[in-house]
Amino acid sequence: MNYAYYPGCSAKGSSADYEKSTQAVCAVLGMNLVEIPGWNCCGSTPAHAVDTELSAALCSRNLDIAAQQGVEKLLTPCPSCLSNLRHTAKRMENPQFRARVDELLDNPAAPDFPGVTSVMQGMAAHCDANGIASFIRKDLGQLTLAPYYGCLMSRPADIMDFGDPENPTLMECLLAACGAKVLDFPLKTACCGASYGIPERTMTARLSARILRLATDMKADAIVAACPLCQMNLDLRQPQAAKEADAIFAMPVLYFTQIMGLAFGLSPDTLGLEKLRVSASALLDKLEPAPSISKTPVEGGQSCE
Amino acid sequence: MPVMKDKELRIVGFLCNWCSYGGADTAGVARAEQPTDLRIIRVPCSGRVDPLFIVKALLSGADGVLVSGCHPRDCHYSSGNFYARRRLEVLKHFLPALGIDNARFEYTWVSASEGQRWQQVVTAFTRRIHTLGAAPGFEDAPLLMKTADMAPAPLRPLGTGKNAPLESLKQAIKEKLPDLACVIGWKQGYDDAHTTPLFAKKPEDVDELVWGPLNAANLAVYLPLFKGKKVGIVVKGCDSRSVVELLQENLVAREDVTIFALPCEGTLDMGRVNEKLGRYNVVGGIAHGATNITITTDGQEHDFSMAEYAQNKCRGCTEPEAVLSDVRMGDSPLVQGEAPVPQELALLDAMNLDERRSFWRTQMERCLRCYACRNACPMCVCRDYCISDSRDPHWMTQEAGVTQKLFFQTIHALHLAGRCTGCGECQRACPVGIPILGLRQHIARTVGELFDNYRAGIDPAAVPPLLGYEVEERNIREREWK
Amino acid sequence: MRIGVFVCHCGSNIAGTVDCAKVAEIAKNFPDVVYADDPMYTCAEPGQAAIEAAIHEHKLDGVVVASCSPRMHEATFRRTVERAGLNRYMFEMANIREHVSWIGKEQQANTNKSAELVEIAVAKLRNNRPLAAKTFDVTKKTLIVGGGVAGIQAALDCAEGGIPVILVERESTIGGKMAKLDKTFPTVDCSACILGPKMVDVAQHPGITLYACAEIEEVSGYVGNFSVKIRKRATYIDWEKCTGCGACSEKCPSKKTPDVFNEFTGTTTAINIPFPQAIPKKAVINAQYCRQFTKGKCGVCAKVCPAGAIDYAMQDSFVTEEVGCIIAATGYELMDWTIYQEYGGGRYPDVITSLQYERLLSASGPTGGHIVRPSDGREPQTIVFIQCVGSRDNSIGRPYCSGFCCMYTAKQAILTKDHLPQSRSYVFYMDIRTPGKMYDEFSRRAVEEYGVEYIRGRVSAVYPDGLGRYVVMGADTLLGEPVEIRADMVVLAVGIEAAKNAPALAEKLRISYDKYGFFMESHVKLKPVETNTAGVFLAGVCQGAKDIPASVAQGSAAAAKALALFARDKLENDPQTAQVDARRCVGCGKCIRCCPFGAITETEIRNEKKAQVIETVCQGCGLCTSTCPQGAVQLSHATDNQILAEVNALCR
Repeated sequence: MNYAYYPGCSAKGSSADYEKSTQAVCAVLGMNLVEIPGWNCCGSTPAHAVDTELSAALCSRNLDIAAQQGVEKLLTPCPSCLSNLRHTAKRMENPQFRARVDELLDNPAAPDFPGVTSVMQGMAAHCDANGIASFIRKDLGQLTLAPYYGCLMSRPADIMDFGDPENPTLMECLLAACGAKVLDFPLKTACCGASYGIPERTMTARLSARILRLATDMKADAIVAACPLCQMNLDLRQPQAAKEADAIFAMPVLYFTQIMGLAFGLSPDTLGLEKLRVSASALLDKLEPAPSISKTPVEGGQSCE
Repeated sequence: MPVMKDKELRIVGFLCNWCSYGGADTAGVARAEQPTDLRIIRVPCSGRVDPLFIVKALLSGADGVLVSGCHPRDCHYSSGNFYARRRLEVLKHFLPALGIDNARFEYTWVSASEGQRWQQVVTAFTRRIHTLGAAPGFEDAPLLMKTADMAPAPLRPLGTGKNAPLESLKQAIKEKLPDLACVIGWKQGYDDAHTTPLFAKKPEDVDELVWGPLNAANLAVYLPLFKGKKVGIVVKGCDSRSVVELLQENLVAREDVTIFALPCEGTLDMGRVNEKLGRYNVVGGIAHGATNITITTDGQEHDFSMAEYAQNKCRGCTEPEAVLSDVRMGDSPLVQGEAPVPQELALLDAMNLDERRSFWRTQMERCLRCYACRNACPMCVCRDYCISDSRDPHWMTQEAGVTQKLFFQTIHALHLAGRCTGCGECQRACPVGIPILGLRQHIARTVGELFDNYRAGIDPAAVPPLLGYEVEERNIREREWK
Repeated sequence: MRIGVFVCHCGSNIAGTVDCAKVAEIAKNFPDVVYADDPMYTCAEPGQAAIEAAIHEHKLDGVVVASCSPRMHEATFRRTVERAGLNRYMFEMANIREHVSWIGKEQQANTNKSAELVEIAVAKLRNNRPLAAKTFDVTKKTLIVGGGVAGIQAALDCAEGGIPVILVERESTIGGKMAKLDKTFPTVDCSACILGPKMVDVAQHPGITLYACAEIEEVSGYVGNFSVKIRKRATYIDWEKCTGCGACSEKCPSKKTPDVFNEFTGTTTAINIPFPQAIPKKAVINAQYCRQFTKGKCGVCAKVCPAGAIDYAMQDSFVTEEVGCIIAATGYELMDWTIYQEYGGGRYPDVITSLQYERLLSASGPTGGHIVRPSDGREPQTIVFIQCVGSRDNSIGRPYCSGFCCMYTAKQAILTKDHLPQSRSYVFYMDIRTPGKMYDEFSRRAVEEYGVEYIRGRVSAVYPDGLGRYVVMGADTLLGEPVEIRADMVVLAVGIEAAKNAPALAEKLRISYDKYGFFMESHVKLKPVETNTAGVFLAGVCQGAKDIPASVAQGSAAAAKALALFARDKLENDPQTAQVDARRCVGCGKCIRCCPFGAITETEIRNEKKAQVIETVCQGCGLCTSTCPQGAVQLSHATDNQILAEVNALCR
C-alpha cells in the first residue's frame, strides 16, 4: 500500500539511520513510502522560533504539494516536522493569517490540506498487534526497553492528536507487539533539552542526564526514541550528561524503527545501527531466534490505535 | 408611537425577569452607556416567548428583535430556556423563508450579574440593526410570480393500484366492523372521476370502498372527530404518518384506532386533472390501466399517465407503505434513492430574501383567507379554537392585509414545526393554488437538521423535538457577541 | 378603565436626563389615562400617599409608575395601590431609570423612550385583571436528602423544633465525609468524637425516621405537600433483626472486597459494617463480591448470624413519604484526579488522595493510624502534599476553589509530624486561603511550629525514580527556580465536585444546578439556602464548597427555613399562575409534557381529557402558554393578550 511521505531534512542528514530503518521496517509491513516531490525544510527550530508566517509558508508549500498530488494523509517520521505541519494547517484556517502566508508563496496555497500523522501512527493504522507479531523473526523477550517520545510528539494535545499528552502509549503497544519487555517509563514525554544544546549546554546536559539516569535506574537495556533530535542528543551528548550528573552512562538510544527492525530479523546494517555512538552490541547479544516463527496471536491482538 | 426619525430604529427586546432583565438593571446601575433604540418587554422566562411574538413584531414594523434569558442550566424555572433555545433556533432558521433577514432576530443569554455583557449585547445588536437599516416591508415589495417545477422521476414505479387486494381488504374490514363505530375510507364521489370520504358503519357500506389514484385526500383529518370512539381508517403511506403523529400527540388513542393499509402506488394531482378535463356534463366511464387511467367525459377520452399526473409529493415519496398498521395487505413496493428536495421548497431555496418577500406579497394578495388550508390539515387540531380567529388570545386582526395573511401562514407553519408530515393537504386544499407547503417543508428540514434527522409521524413514542431539549444541544451553537 | 400615571424624578437620577413633566404630559394622551403627574420621589412616603390620594380622587382603577426597576419597587407600589383599595395586580411599572436615564445622556431620546415605556405599560395594564391568592394546607414534615454533617444538623434542628424528619442516606451509614476524617481543623479535634454523638442523637430522636441505603426515586407535589417515593436498596439483611454484632463479617470468607469507607486503602469483607460507630449499626452485603451471589454457594453469614437476619432473596423496596419541605444535603465527591497523567494518573501506589491519607491517619483506618506507604508498608520519611489538584485549574474546566484544602493540608502536615517526628513534609501551594476563625493562625503553626516547608508553585510531574522513591518536580515561583524533591509518598489535595447523582436529584426536585453539578441557590448573596423551587432548601457542600462549620451553619439555616415555613398552618400561593380555558383545550398534553414543575395534570371534563393547572405547584414561567397552539393555557399577568398589547404598542 502506498503512503505519501514527508521525510524532513534530518532524515537526509543527521538521522539517516532513522530514515533507513523506517524505510526497511515499513517495507516489511507492506507500507510503501512515497516521497512527495520537491519538498523543502519544514522550518523547524530556526524559522518557527523567529517568524511564524515564514515557518507557515515553508510548511504550506509542502502541504500544498501534497494537496496537488491528491494526497489525503501524509506521513512523517519526525515529531518536529509533524508539529510544524499540523500547526500550520491549524493556523491556515484563519483567513487573515492565510492571506499573509499566501503573499510569501508563489501561488496561494490549496484551500484544503491533507491530514498529517506520524509514521508511528501510520504503522498502527496499517496493521494491528497481531499483524506486527506475524513478522517477528527474533525474540526480544530479554530486552527491557524505555520508550521515550520526547516532548513534541504528544503536545499540544489538541494539535497533535497523539493520545494523552502526558502518557501516550502507542510506542509501548508497538514494542510489546514486537515481543520486548516495555517499561512504564515516567519521563517518556520529558524534555531532553536538545534544542538548547548549543546556547545552554549545561542545562541540556542536566535534562538529558535525568532521563538517562532514570532509564539506568530502571535497568533498561535501551532508550527507544521517536525523534531525531532526541536520539542525537541522548546518544551523542551522553558523555556530557554523564559529566554533569557525575555518573557513568552506557545507555544505547535506538529509534523504535530500529527495534522493530531487529525483531523482524533485519540486519544491523540495514537498520543503520553502526551510526550509534553508544554501541547496541550488548543489546544484539540478548536477541535470540524466535522460538518458532510463531503465528501465535499476541494477547488481545487488538489494534494499537 | 414613531421612532425618532433618522436616529433610532425600532428594536424590541424580550427579557426574562430573573436573569436578563436583572442584567439590564445591573448595566443601568453601573451606568453602562447603551444605544437608546431598544424597548424592553419583561417576561417571566425566555420559555414564555412564543416565537410568534417575534414574527408579529417583525411583520408589524420592528427592525430587530432580541430575546435574552438565563444562561442554560441557570434558568430560574430550571428548563424554560432549554425549550426556548430549540424554538428560537428553529425560528432563526425559518425567518429567511418568509423573506426576513434572520440577522434581525437574535437570542442570547445574560445573567443578572452580567451588566457589562448586557451592554455589549445591546450595543452590538443595535449596531447590527443600524447596519441592516430599516426593515423593508411586504406591502411595497415589487410583485413577483413564480411556480414550482415538476418533480423529477419517482423513487418507485407509480401505478393505479389496479391489482391491489381491495376485496380482501374489504373482507378484513367487515370482520373488524362489529367492534368499530365506523371505518373511514374513500368512495366514489359526485362522478366516477372523483372520490369522497366514506364512513362505513354497516357491512354493505364497506362494499363502496374504492382504491386508486383518485384517493388523494388524507382521511386522518377526520380521526380526532371520533376521539373516544373506536374507529377504523384506511390509509396510504403518507396518511399513516399523520395517524402516527396524532397518536404521538395524544389526540387519538392507539387502542381506539384500527389502521387498514394497502401499499400506495401514487395519487393524482387533481388540480391538473380537472384542468385538463375542463368543463363537462357527464363522465362516461373511467378505465384503470397499469400506469394510467382514462376518463371519458361527454364521449371524449382523456388519458392520464401516472408518470405525468401524479402529485409532486408522490414522486418524492419514500413511504408508500404505512409506517404503522393493524391490517396490511399487498406487496411491498421497492423504493430506490433518497427523497429529493420537495419542489415547493426548491422554489423558495432558489430565491433571495428580496425575491421571497416579493413572492409572498404576490401570493398573499391572492389569498382569500378562507382557511381551507387549516381545515384540511390533519394536524390542525385546534379546530374551533384556532388563535387566528379568537379574541382571547387576540393574535390576528380581521384586516385583509398581506402581513395578516402571511402571519396566519406563519402561525400554521410554526404550530406545525416538528409535527408536519408533509402530506400537502393544506396546499391541495388551497382554492387559489398558493404553494404554502414550502413554508412547512422549510421548517421540517430545519427540524431534521437540528434534531438528529427527526421526521414527524414515524415513531408514535418519540418525543417531538420542540417538546423536549438536551442540556447540551449538539447542533445549536451559542453565537458570540463582539 | 381609568388609569393614573406617575413619572418619578427620583431626585435627579431620572430627571437629570429625562423630561419627566413632558413624559407625564404625553402620557395623558394614551388610551384610558385620566391622570398623570411627575412626583419627585414616588417611593417615598409622600409619593406613595399621593398615589393613594389620586386613586381616591380620580377613581383610578389602574396605576402605572414610571421610575426604577420593578425588581426594586414593584412590591412597594403593589402594596400602595392595595392600601387604596385596588387589586395589587392592577399596577404596572415602566423602568425609566436603569433602562433609560442611567444608560443614556441625551435628553430628547431618553424622554421619547420613557414615554414609549409608559405607553407599553399602559397598554399592558389595560389588559390586566385582578388576581387573588389561594390558601392551602401544609404537611408539617421535613425530608432531608443526605446524612452528612449538614443533613444531620438540619435533621436535629428540625426535630428539636417539633417537626418530624425523614432522613434519607444513600450509604449504609450516616456521617458522610466527616465520618472518614481523622481530625478536624483548626482545633485538631477527633472527628469521630464530635460527630459521633450527633449521629447517635439522630438514631435516638423519636422525631427522626432514618432510611439508610436509600435514594430518592420520585418527587411530586409542591411546597407544603410533597410526595416523595424512596427506594430502599436491598441490603440482604433484615435490619429489624440485625443487632450489629459483627459475627457475620468475622467469618465472611470473601475478604478481598474493596473497602469503600476506607477510600480503597484496604480491603474488607463482602458483608460488613463500615465502621464501629456506624449509624445505623447494621451489616450490608456487597453482592458484587459475596460468594453466595457470585458463586451461588457459601451461606456462611446466614449460618453464623445469631439473629437469623440474612436474607439473600431481598429485593429493593419502596416507601412513599408525604412531607411539606425538602432539604437537599447531598454533599460532594472528589473529582477523578486520574486525568492528571503528570501525577501518574493513578498508576503509582504511593501517590494518594488526601481522603485516603485521612484514612491512613485514622486509628480506625486500615493501618490502625500508622502512616505507611501503600506500596511496601514502610514508613515514609519525606511526604509531599500537592494542593489544588483539580481546583482552580481552567485547563481541565474546573476554575473553582474547593475551599477547605488549604486548611486540611496544613492539618495533615501537622499530624504527619505528630505521627512521624523524623519525617519531612513539603506543601506545594498556589495561594494559602485561610479566612476562617483561627484558620490563618493554624496554617502558620504548620510552618512555624511544625517546620512544614511551603513551596509556592505548581508541581509539573511526579514520577518513580526507579529506586523506590518518587521525584516531585515543581517550580518555586517565589525564588523563580525549579525544585525537585525525592519523596516517599505524595498526597494530592484533590478538588471536589458535586455528588455523582446530584444533577439527577436536582431534576427530580426541579431545582437548578450549575455546570459542575452544584445546586443553585435562589440568590447568591441574599437567599443562599432557598432554591427557586418553593419548599426546597439547601445545606452543605451540595450548594458549593464549604467546610464543616459552614456546612453545619447552613444545615441549621435550612432547618430554620423549614421551621419558619411550618410556623403557619396554611400557605398562600402567588396568583401569577397559568389558567386553562377548558373550552379551548383539546387535551393533547403538550403543556403537561413541557411543564418544568409537573404543575399541569390531566383531568376529565364531560368525558373529555383536559389539562388542569395545580395552582399551588405552578411557578409562573409561562412555558405552557407558549407551547399551547390554541392559546388554551394562559399565564395570568403575562397572557398572550398582555404581551401582544405591549408588542402592538411598540410596533405599529
